[in-house]
Formats: sequence, structure tokens, C-alpha cells
Amino acid sequence: MSQRVKIGALELKNPVLTASGCFGYGLEYDDFFDVAELGAICTKGLSLLPRPGSPPERICETAAGMLNAIGLANVGVEAFCREKLPTLRRRGIGVVANIFASNVEDFVAIACRLEQESGISAVELNVSCPNVKAGGIEFGRDPELCARVTSAVRGATSLPLWVKMSPEAGDLVQVARACQDAGADAITAINTIRGMAIDPQSRKLRLANSTGGLSGPALKPIALRMVWELASSIDIPVIGIGGIATAGDAIEFLLAGATAVQVGTANFSDPCAALKVARGIRAYCEARGLSASALVGQAK
Amino acid sequence: MSEPPVAAVNPPEIQKPKFVSLPLAGRESFGASYHVLTFDHPEGSGALPGQFAMVRGAEWGESPLLPRPMSYLSGGDSPSILIKVLGEGTARMARAEPGERYFLLGPLGRPWRPPTPGRRPLLVGGGVGIAPLLFFCRWLVERGFSPLSLYGGRSEHDLPLSRELSKISDLQVTTEDGSGGARGRVTDVLEKLLQPDMEVYTCGPHRMMALVADICDRHDIVCEASLETPMACGYGVCLGCAVPTTEGRFLYACVEGPCVDARRVDWRPGAGAFDRAEDAACPSA
Repeated sequence: MSQRVKIGALELKNPVLTASGCFGYGLEYDDFFDVAELGAICTKGLSLLPRPGSPPERICETAAGMLNAIGLANVGVEAFCREKLPTLRRRGIGVVANIFASNVEDFVAIACRLEQESGISAVELNVSCPNVKAGGIEFGRDPELCARVTSAVRGATSLPLWVKMSPEAGDLVQVARACQDAGADAITAINTIRGMAIDPQSRKLRLANSTGGLSGPALKPIALRMVWELASSIDIPVIGIGGIATAGDAIEFLLAGATAVQVGTANFSDPCAALKVARGIRAYCEARGLSASALVGQAK
Repeated sequence: MSEPPVAAVNPPEIQKPKFVSLPLAGRESFGASYHVLTFDHPEGSGALPGQFAMVRGAEWGESPLLPRPMSYLSGGDSPSILIKVLGEGTARMARAEPGERYFLLGPLGRPWRPPTPGRRPLLVGGGVGIAPLLFFCRWLVERGFSPLSLYGGRSEHDLPLSRELSKISDLQVTTEDGSGGARGRVTDVLEKLLQPDMEVYTCGPHRMMALVADICDRHDIVCEASLETPMACGYGVCLGCAVPTTEGRFLYACVEGPCVDARRVDWRPGAGAFDRAEDAACPSA
């Protein structure tokens, strides 16, 4: 049964992607599996210039999840285009470039740089990072700011444009609609939720950044609810993300209305997690004689 | 004491990591806190001294979520790890019974660098940090080296495997409470023990390694340290294991370490709060 899905004009070989920040630049998986078997990868958030990221401690495990405050450490869009993208292209890996900036001009500049390259399937705007002072979640909470970034990048690139939502946007549907009206082709939901942890012995905060983004299975019911609300309220496709570790988790998101899914934190405990999700969905579809796209929004 | 080999020992070939499910072959306890877990891996672990594995119980479900980075205590077809009970994950490992399945992702990271020809290796360990040093000590002895070792802990209960280490190296022990060996810390002894023809390999608590690195630096002695940091993935993706360097950037302990030249590390507490402007140094990962 066909696993192909369409997200606007973009067709993917299957509905499973890897989440930004949880899969590096896709080249770290050579030892484990052929990444071209996935629908696509979302790169680590790319900024205009390289960023070193936050001081340690950057991560901390919590109940059925983890907190991270990496601070968007990345090689920058130029190094990505020169050093990573050619290999990804050669291997036939679908690439969604996740991009981040602290102002509209830089978002546009990154998009313009990516526009010069072939081999990029879509651009995903990170307007929802909880761990940086400027930009990030500041944009993601405000429908007008979100629309302004979306519209500016829309004008700078012909690539499919996705916007990654913060679960902390007051009215998620309103923000998503603003992005849709500004020219977004899809909405990715959701990014992490801010949380924190304290060591009772030393009384110290566990993260140097004080707070961090919560990810992992603990997030799944919240993410699923948000995807379900969005899918029934907007006209463009929703890409579901939040605590997906198994094919069963992913199928829940498809049934809730997601056209595709992203696997994030699960990659950390099993580098082949996304591949197992993709194969599990295919087995589920074959057992029922259904295509992957036939599952979308079919929750009763 | 025999002379150390003068010919160069080639760095061993690093194997590709594999994600495997292995049965626990046995668990040996050293008091309530320290346990050696040995796994059955007929195809061979390919692990070198200083490398590590990400270890997680196959039946853990969704919590604890993440695998634990563990230095190999031995490799081959019976890879083993030494754990100290600190949290939920290690508490479960301490109760594990033979036959229980574990996921191991390994071998990961950079192993210990072989000693320079003509130099004598001195191994300086603290507590659970003995694991990669004992593995390395065996490797060195097999190649004709006669390592010296210095092993410290809070009390004699914090010196698991000191007997094993004493069998294959010239060992000195310290405890903070004086219950075993000399009263004090390894760093109290190190300064007197150091000779110009030595190279130091260290693994233990951050503060201990920071002092060892400082002493070696002052005596112009090469020191390799095995870094320990929180890690989610172990293979360069989560970027959780950032360690600040003296060059004002971060190195990632999982792929650039865990064994690194101690002079590269900025050991000061709270180091790494670099200028976070976008034009600051670039991470290598």
C-alpha cells in the first residue's frame, strides 16, 4: 500500500520525518541505516552565522521525557550548504531546512541562501525555540509577528514553507491561521514546552539556562490534542510531532489529522527509531489494505 | 621495574558502533553502590579501552527514557561496565538479573591514546572512574608496559576493583577518611609521584580531574582525561555533552572524547558562558 504523502505540492515517499535538533544534519547515521528510506529529515536549526550554544548543563532527564537547553548550537547556513548538503543530495535524502533567526531580516537572508541550493525539499521556520533570548518563542506567541516572518520568507523563497508552532502560543489556531494566511504551506506542531528541574540535594537548577524544552513521551497527549485541534481548524497540512517513539504513536497523530509526523527524542535511545516507525506504519497499512494518506484524520 | 617499550604502539582501529540487544551474563556487586554488569556478545563488542556504550534496559518502557553512557570495563565477547548507583537507571541496573536484556549502542567515542614511546603510563582514578583505566591497564600490560596507578575514593568502600588493579599495576590507594591506603586524595600523592618520563591518564570526578590536569600542566606532563557529562544520544546529535575548551568553544564529549588531552578542557567551574552573539565560535558537531 502506498506510503507516499503530499504536503502541499511536496510529495514524500512516506510520512515519517526526523525532528529538528534530534537528528543532527542526517550524516551522523551512516553507521546505522540508510536515511534515504525516511520521508525526509529536518536539519538542526540553522542560523545565519554559526552559534556555539549554551553552557552546560544542557540536558536533564525527567519522567518519561527530557529537558534541553542547547541554545541552537549549529554550524550556520553557509557551512551547512557547503559541507553537509552536497552529501545529503548525493544520497537522495529529503532535506527540510529548519531555520532560526532573532529578526525578520536574518530569516530572509537564510532563506535566500538556501534558495541558491538544490536538494532542499522545504524550509521550516523555527519561531518556537524556548531556549534563546531573542526571536524563538517571542515570534511564536504572537500571530502578527509570526505572520510577518512567514510573509517575509514567503517572498524570499519558492520552496515549500512550514512553520513550527510553539505549544505556548496563547491561541494556537489563531497563530496557525495567521501563518496560513501569510503563505505557509504547512504547520508543524509542536515544539517543546518549557520546563525545569532542580537538584534537591544541592538546591541547584539542573540546567545552566534555568529552563529548558520538555520533549519525549511525556509530551505526547498534549501534542496530539493540539494537532487534532489544528487539523480541524486550518486548511493547510499539519505535521505532527511530540513524543512519537513507535509506529503506534505515529498512527495516532495521523488519525488525529497529521499528514506526516516527526520523530525526535526517540532517536536518542535508538538511532533506528524513525526507520522502525516508518516500517511499522507500512506494516499497519498493509495489514488493513490502506494507504498512509487514508489514515489522516480518521479518528472516530 | 622493566623499561617501557620504546617502539611506537599504533593506535588501535576504531570499530563502527552497533545497536544491539544483549542478555546480561552476570552481575557482581561490590557493596550496595557498585556493580559490574557483564553482557554476552558473541559477535564481539569491538570496544577499545576508553570507549563507551549507551546502555538501557530493554524493558524500561518510557521511564527512565534515556540510555546511560558507560565506559567499557572490558570488551571482546564479554563486554562489561562498572556502575555506581546514582539514580533510577543505575538502581535498575543494580537489581538486574542474568538473562535480562539490555540495549547497547557501541563502541562509541575516542579511546585512550597509546603512550608515547619511552614514557611510563600513570593511571589516576577516582571511584567509579576506575572502569576505563582498568581496561586500559590490561591493554597496556599486554603490550609490555608496566603502568603505575593511583586510585582514590571517599572511603575503602568507594574503591571497587582496587584488588584487580593491584594485580596488574604498581598501585597506590588513598581514601579521604583514611579507611584504606593513605589518608587524603590522589592529588595529594600525585605531585610526589610524578616523574618527567611519565604520561598521565585520568578518570574520576570533575574536581579531581581538574586538579590532576593542573598538576600535570605545571610539570609539563601529558595528561589524557576521560570526560563524563550527561548525554542523551552518545553519537553527536543531541549536543547535550558540551564541554568548554580553553579555545573558547565547546567540544562534544561523545564524538571528540571521551578521552581528550586535558589541556584542551577549561576545567573552571561554570566555564563555557561564552559570548552568545551569533559571530562567536562555531561548534564542530
